[in-house]
Amino acid sequence: MSDQSNQTTYWKSLNELAQNKEYKNFVEREFPEDATELSDQVSRRSFLRVMGASIALAGFASCRKPVQKILPFSRQPEELVLGEPLFYATSMPFQDSVTGLLVTNVDGRPNKIEGNDAHPASTGRTNIFQQASILGLYDPDRSRSPLQNGEKVSKNDFAQFASDHFADRNRNVLFIDEATSSPTYHRLKEELLAQFPNAEWVTYEPFSDQNVIEGTQIAFGQRLRTVNHYDNADLVVALDDDFMSPQAHNNSVENSVKLTAKRKVESTDDSMSRIYAIENAFTSTGSYADHRLRLKSSEIEPFTYALAAKLSESVDGLAAFSGVSNAFSSHRWIDILASELLANQGSSTVSAGFDHSPTLHAAVAAINYALGNAGNSVTYHSLPYRADRNEQQAFFDAITELKAGVFDTLVMVGTNVAFTAPSDLDLVQALANVETKIHLSDYVDETSRVSDWHVNRAHYIETWGDGLSFTGERSVIQPQIQPLFDGLSEIEFLSTLLNGEISSGHELVQATWSNFLGSDMNRAWETVLHDGVDAESGFDAVNVALTSGFASEIAPSLSSEALNGIEISIKPDERIYDGRFANNSWLMELPAPMTKITWDNVALMSPATAERIGIDPERSFKDNSVPMVRITAGDTSLEIAAWVEPGHADDSITLTVGYGRNNLGRVADGVGVDTYPLRTSQELFFRAASVEPTGNTYEIACVQDHHSLEGRDMIRTATLEEYKENPDFASYKSIHGYEVPGIKEAEAEGDDRGPISLFNENYGPEYQPQWGMTIDLNSCFGCGVCTIACQAENNIPVIGKREVGRRRIMHWIRTDRYYAGDVDNPTAYHQPVPCMHCELAPCEQVCPVAATTHSEDGMNQMTYNRCIGTRYCANNCPFKVRRFNFFNYTKEYLTTGDDPEIIQMAMNPEVTVRFRGVMEKCTYCVQRVQRAKINSKIATGSKRPEDGAVITACQQACPANAISFGDLTDRNSAVSRNKQNDRNYVMLEEINVRPRTSYLARLSNKNPELA
Amino acid sequence: MAQIFPKWTNEAPRRILFGSIIFLNAIVFAVWYFFSPEFTDVGYMPEQPVPYSHQVHAGQLGMDCQYCHTQVTESKHANIPATQTCMNCHNQILTDSENLTLVRESWESGQPIEWVRVHMLPDFAYFNHSAHVSVGVGCESCHGRIDRMEVVHQAEPMSMGWCLDCHREPEKHVRPVSEITTMGYSVDNQLELGRELVAKHNINAPTYCQSCHH
Repeated sequence: MSDQSNQTTYWKSLNELAQNKEYKNFVEREFPEDATELSDQVSRRSFLRVMGASIALAGFASCRKPVQKILPFSRQPEELVLGEPLFYATSMPFQDSVTGLLVTNVDGRPNKIEGNDAHPASTGRTNIFQQASILGLYDPDRSRSPLQNGEKVSKNDFAQFASDHFADRNRNVLFIDEATSSPTYHRLKEELLAQFPNAEWVTYEPFSDQNVIEGTQIAFGQRLRTVNHYDNADLVVALDDDFMSPQAHNNSVENSVKLTAKRKVESTDDSMSRIYAIENAFTSTGSYADHRLRLKSSEIEPFTYALAAKLSESVDGLAAFSGVSNAFSSHRWIDILASELLANQGSSTVSAGFDHSPTLHAAVAAINYALGNAGNSVTYHSLPYRADRNEQQAFFDAITELKAGVFDTLVMVGTNVAFTAPSDLDLVQALANVETKIHLSDYVDETSRVSDWHVNRAHYIETWGDGLSFTGERSVIQPQIQPLFDGLSEIEFLSTLLNGEISSGHELVQATWSNFLGSDMNRAWETVLHDGVDAESGFDAVNVALTSGFASEIAPSLSSEALNGIEISIKPDERIYDGRFANNSWLMELPAPMTKITWDNVALMSPATAERIGIDPERSFKDNSVPMVRITAGDTSLEIAAWVEPGHADDSITLTVGYGRNNLGRVADGVGVDTYPLRTSQELFFRAASVEPTGNTYEIACVQDHHSLEGRDMIRTATLEEYKENPDFASYKSIHGYEVPGIKEAEAEGDDRGPISLFNENYGPEYQPQWGMTIDLNSCFGCGVCTIACQAENNIPVIGKREVGRRRIMHWIRTDRYYAGDVDNPTAYHQPVPCMHCELAPCEQVCPVAATTHSEDGMNQMTYNRCIGTRYCANNCPFKVRRFNFFNYTKEYLTTGDDPEIIQMAMNPEVTVRFRGVMEKCTYCVQRVQRAKINSKIATGSKRPEDGAVITACQQACPANAISFGDLTDRNSAVSRNKQNDRNYVMLEEINVRPRTSYLARLSNKNPELA
Repeated sequence: MAQIFPKWTNEAPRRILFGSIIFLNAIVFAVWYFFSPEFTDVGYMPEQPVPYSHQVHAGQLGMDCQYCHTQVTESKHANIPATQTCMNCHNQILTDSENLTLVRESWESGQPIEWVRVHMLPDFAYFNHSAHVSVGVGCESCHGRIDRMEVVHQAEPMSMGWCLDCHREPEKHVRPVSEITTMGYSVDNQLELGRELVAKHNINAPTYCQSCHH
């Protein structure tokens, strides 16, 4: 388009920016060549042959009516209304914090997870791990029974063994567990340690906030939890800290809720907090920040000391840093950050990523203290359940003792140390020195296979438990269903070791809670179960002061310099964390927030670095293959696919862990490369490495180029100042310099609904609501939880890497990621795209069988039974939101394997499961709309539910509250008010399809000095 | 030269033509009728594990439908009663009837009785009982004269066209909410009363696809 006078150029990939020929050929086809051939596994022809038989069988089988049974209760539970969902509060433990959840339970079957409004870490919102955990419950690959030396045994056999083996209380037992905050767990741990005088207990997490806690030990002399209050912060400085993403911060949901709330703009009078991100790889937080600086992981520490040195000139308390002078002392950002921080004393937060060193965290704590943030925007809390020692060091020491043969029994609770422990510990070798190894885990994993006893763990949705939130609020974990595979929870497991018999988790938890709840136990217990959180709890804030020895303790680290040459950073994965979610197919198929890669891990590097090591930054689009590189660090070396990420720091390569699994499960096996071997106990996070291309290629299924932008104005942005000057900046006229074509003609005819149109405008009858949606791009940071929530709600199939590579991904809501600006250091924007529910929908006009039509309440409805699979509608959809079932994805998924009924249980009974050859797309969660309308009709006689009665799955899950949904005919509904916002715009306004889904343009709060 | 074909062959093409027209029509009719739910589904009367008689309970004894199907006003399902509901009476009456052996067993063991489902909608059709009974669609309108059925059978085709008959002209079928469980309900001025009820309950029965298919 030549008229884009006012428009920034946005791009999705380097090739699109370069507009090379290969890319143009690639985007011209909606699907790649041979997309209609299922060339792997079964060819189309043999598929038909196979299908022929099943069609014939189906033909005969359908002559007889299948008999269905109805099984009513013998005694009906009082509160149960069959067919109506019940909602139970529970909470999901993740390391040592829990998040409150509400589980939808239909006829005794949990099938959807939502956040618990009453829980502070959730406030009703969730992250991808929590949303996807419902699929983890129904994973048929979970371990189904205890194993003794690989042979199936029963739970009672294990109890018998435990009773015999642990009868000798003088055994030298080493316990290794995962971080947990469960009061019941810690009570049993204390009892075990008291009973076994020779026992040692260590906790190992490959990634945790361990270093942050050690940092407060250096700064304040106490091991404390740091809580940043983004709702109180006008200025946020994130030093390689992706605190909005669940893999990088345990409290990401609360962080995101509070940070985005501080940046909501309803009118030109509103203000926003300002975010500076200094980081290595491009993260979600970095893309949401107002300013972003690229630094290698190893540069973050000297940069922070230089900043502290600069601040020490103006505030007391940072004298320890006053002499620091390094490569960053004269960096432009140091002055700017220092003056910003000084201007926002007491209302700013400085934070650093979990993986960084304790001394860096100590410096950050000292900065927050010196600026007066401590106690205001940053608070410190003591953790009652945590031992006052360096847990990581304790673990390393215990492994040394293990090698020396000190222990005769090793008990591993949940942790997968054989996979995740640093390579130099040689853990598998060390385990050989132990006589008896017992391992509790979800899957028969790497550690289970080298253990004598494996005990299958029960999922948190099927067991009793408890835990504390990141800020200390106590919650009960309440089971929603009997354990599917008869597993043991952690507390039942510990109690079995202690007593030699299996006791009920319910009693164990109640025994602990009787101490908290006092005399009126029963009533208080019911209240806690109902609310999901004990309102009377929370960690006490601690008043802190720098220790006298701080300066001398931090002094040796202050001279630290960045590594020379290329370095690698090893991080937890955005989707599968440390590998614990590796068998969750929803997570595996979720495009990673920034790279949009599914089903693999890659070596991320900047375009300049790629060029330096001899890789063409522009991808080949002939197929999905990308070049591979060999990464060598110390004496470890591995080959992995290289991926060029604009905005990554130069001379730095980011890797994620958790992939490269064998025999774990159908989803995890053979996906990606195991990068744990590159981690050593001395260099857990980053280290120097050499990288060279190998000449091999690897197929990557990346969805970022599936749909092309073609230079259109999908994303509209402005700075806060520009917005205040010109509130109308997002309108078509401001961008193009003239009105949308056809609007004057329509006005002349007295039509104020939009430009003149050839098509009949069909608006529903008065008694019907008219649904619409807005998505606030100023809140969206691209986490992808909407996609997972939608998948859980709407029975959306997973299709596998090859099919994704053929651009057949089925997600009803995708999040597009756009770059703008300099190739080396671009800004990034996220845009969730569901069906737009156009009033003049182009898809409806081309369907030959009227399978997609308009409903009375203004939705573009898809009638699966009518669809004959011509795909004309997808072809004619300007937003490319329609998804086609090329194969019987769902049927295969639901009927293969040893226990298909397990997966069938995960399906939402209110949503039709789609068949091969049928088109599908976002329905605005019509099942929720219909339920609300029926309820409203019965209660009030009106078909218009009150505002807020319909909450779509994506809206419900969003931790940024970016999505609003409701009735447009109600001028006071939240969605109507958003539509009246100055920043409201629709995509492709000029084609006059009148989308019901609109966007609020993105703003950034730029510092004029850096703009 | 002798005639090769006898004279009657002159008639053959015409006969074949008419014959095939009749035959094709017969096929169309046969498919239309014999493949329709009206033929395949109406009258479906599976044998139930317990010889429960609606004729006795709902007919002779005059029990209200909602005594057993309690949740019909709150749920999409009109629930099949729990064994408990049977035992409310049958721990007093006919306590050792052979017909009730299964009921007593279920009550003692806690295992459900496996009733055979009579009215089946396909999975892609959403139906909600509470939405219908709350605006005056009687049980009888869809389930027929249950009070006369010894063994329950399907009385109506439950096809989409049949649903739409009422959705398009609800006034022909609605009754006062107080009469929903009445069997054999009939008034002379149905149309007039129906229109009043439609207005009173604000009935706008939807006919767009996704009100039922989602």
